[in-house]
Amino acid sequence: MYDKSVPFDAKVKWTKKETRDTFTCALKINNRDIQKAYRFLPGQFNMLYVPGIGEAPISISSSPLDHDLMHTVRVAGDVTTALSNLRAGDMIGMRGPFGRGWPLEEAEDLDLLIVAGGLGIAPLRSVARHVLKTHAAKKRDAHQRRMLLYGAKTPKDIVFRDEFPRYRDIFEVFLTVDRADPEEYWRGEAGLVTKLFDRITFDPRCTLVFVCGPEIMMQNSGRELILRGVPEERIFLSMERNMNCGIGMCGHCFFGPKFVCKDGPVFRFSEIEGLMGIKEL
Amino acid sequence: MKKLKKEHLRILFGGLTESHRVIGPKIEGGVVVLAEIAVHDIPAGFEDRQMAGSYRLVTGERPEIFSFSAGPDSFKRFLHPPVSEMFAFKSSRTAIAITAPDCQGKPLAFIGVRACDIAALKLYDKVFLGGAEKDQCYESRRKDSLVIALDCSYPGDNCFCHAMGTGPSVMDGFDIALVELDASFLLEAGTIAGQRLLDVLSLEEVTEGDMKERSSRTERCLGMMKKSIRTEDLPGLIYRSLDHPRWMDIAERDLECGNCTQVCPTCFCHSHYDFVRLAGISPRAREVSGTRVRKWDSCFSRNFARVHGGNFRPSRRARYRQWMSHKLAYTFEQFGLPGCVGCGRCITWCPAGIDITREVEALRDVR
Repeated sequence: MYDKSVPFDAKVKWTKKETRDTFTCALKINNRDIQKAYRFLPGQFNMLYVPGIGEAPISISSSPLDHDLMHTVRVAGDVTTALSNLRAGDMIGMRGPFGRGWPLEEAEDLDLLIVAGGLGIAPLRSVARHVLKTHAAKKRDAHQRRMLLYGAKTPKDIVFRDEFPRYRDIFEVFLTVDRADPEEYWRGEAGLVTKLFDRITFDPRCTLVFVCGPEIMMQNSGRELILRGVPEERIFLSMERNMNCGIGMCGHCFFGPKFVCKDGPVFRFSEIEGLMGIKEL
Repeated sequence: MKKLKKEHLRILFGGLTESHRVIGPKIEGGVVVLAEIAVHDIPAGFEDRQMAGSYRLVTGERPEIFSFSAGPDSFKRFLHPPVSEMFAFKSSRTAIAITAPDCQGKPLAFIGVRACDIAALKLYDKVFLGGAEKDQCYESRRKDSLVIALDCSYPGDNCFCHAMGTGPSVMDGFDIALVELDASFLLEAGTIAGQRLLDVLSLEEVTEGDMKERSSRTERCLGMMKKSIRTEDLPGLIYRSLDHPRWMDIAERDLECGNCTQVCPTCFCHSHYDFVRLAGISPRAREVSGTRVRKWDSCFSRNFARVHGGNFRPSRRARYRQWMSHKLAYTFEQFGLPGCVGCGRCITWCPAGIDITREVEALRDVR
């Protein structure tokens, strides 16, 4: 194995603008040995490093079965701005993968409900693409349902908008926006993503739920789903904190007693529900 | 267990300095700090008077060599330095070269490590070596280091190690353990490396009287300890008190200086920064070189939990709560060890004199 505290170099294969403030970049690990040893699970993240500027934790937005290793980034600070200026052929540093991913093995014989808010779709796109790929390989269980609920600020902020038609082959997809611009044609819903729970019918006793988005959205989604009868052990959230070292040493990502970088970022709702209600933990 | 005449302590030192940098107590700026020392640097006879927010060194009457208690420094300054280089980089648009530093120096020998700091060292080992990923520099410094522990003859005025179950006597985790008596030191080897050092000394057999003196000294030290924490269900108390109004009260006294986190022997939080060299920068080719360094950070600093577009702990109340909860509750869940070892440093070095033992008592008060 390789040392996860020292970045290795990765080459930008291509970049793609997704929305006005997000973009996807595909990276290729330069070192052959590391490339071979590098394995990740949907839901894990990498630290992307621009020398001289710094590091940022970015979720992997491609599936392990995809040819390209993709990261979808929102321009928010110094590092992400520097990342947004990358062009194909540029070299950056990378460390990872870090953390605990989505429990895909538990999804084997359960229905799957994906709930995403904003850029929270990035680590869940990894799941969606993974399901798409593995679905093609095995015969579809006719009774197994897959649902994808996604909320964005406005129609313009929907990330991966061009990919949803493909997901519709396997997923029941529902989109909502906080605010629809009257100038623009929008036939999806308007309102919070939790409102979409009314649009779908699902069996709470055999549904596995993956949620990623702003903390308040995840908390509300979790509580709403529990009210609808989903056991809290079957709800998974991906938490966000200030990840700095990625290996549980620097202390920046503490969420109560949890190291989000290594105990998470994906947590079972039952593990952290007690902590979620406490302000500024 | 063997006995060494006090005047022969320098022989032990002599054996150590050949192969190790001996780190021990020394007076600097009116304070007992840890530094590379010779045997005569040990401030024998000095006593420290500590209060909440106060530390004064005086020449006293005590006959011991180790007549003082722990100062602000602990081993962490050496095993996890305040600033350390992670790697040097030289990068351009199309290539990045990274060179790891050499953290192998002359091995360290810590002399006079108190029981509280041994407990802290155990936590440090869990943090930096206990996980799936290991801190390689810490590992190389730690593996070659020698710990020469010492039973406290006198407690500091803010000590409460007996309440945390960490002291005042050293139980394990040492290469050599010292106990200071009136005329001699009792020595016990805890590892083969420690035994090797003892083999070359002219040691005497321990008498029953010595053992009696040892236990009466421990008794005396315990009896002199002024502070305490009621530890029954301490983590539970903290988890139940996360919304306690006392945090607001502390926040009003707290200055957010972060002194407590710097002197705490178990505080390990740090941040990474790029230090960029000005020479050879070419923006167009994105040419830049420098070093990536690791610096101690403190959960009291305003940006500690900041992410783009938000801060998870914007209030002082939340930041203080984070620190104290981590010490008294979270570390049990994270590493199975106490995060507070009862050394009392945070009380002494807090300019506002915030006393963790009194704050715990306040949390125990029924609202």
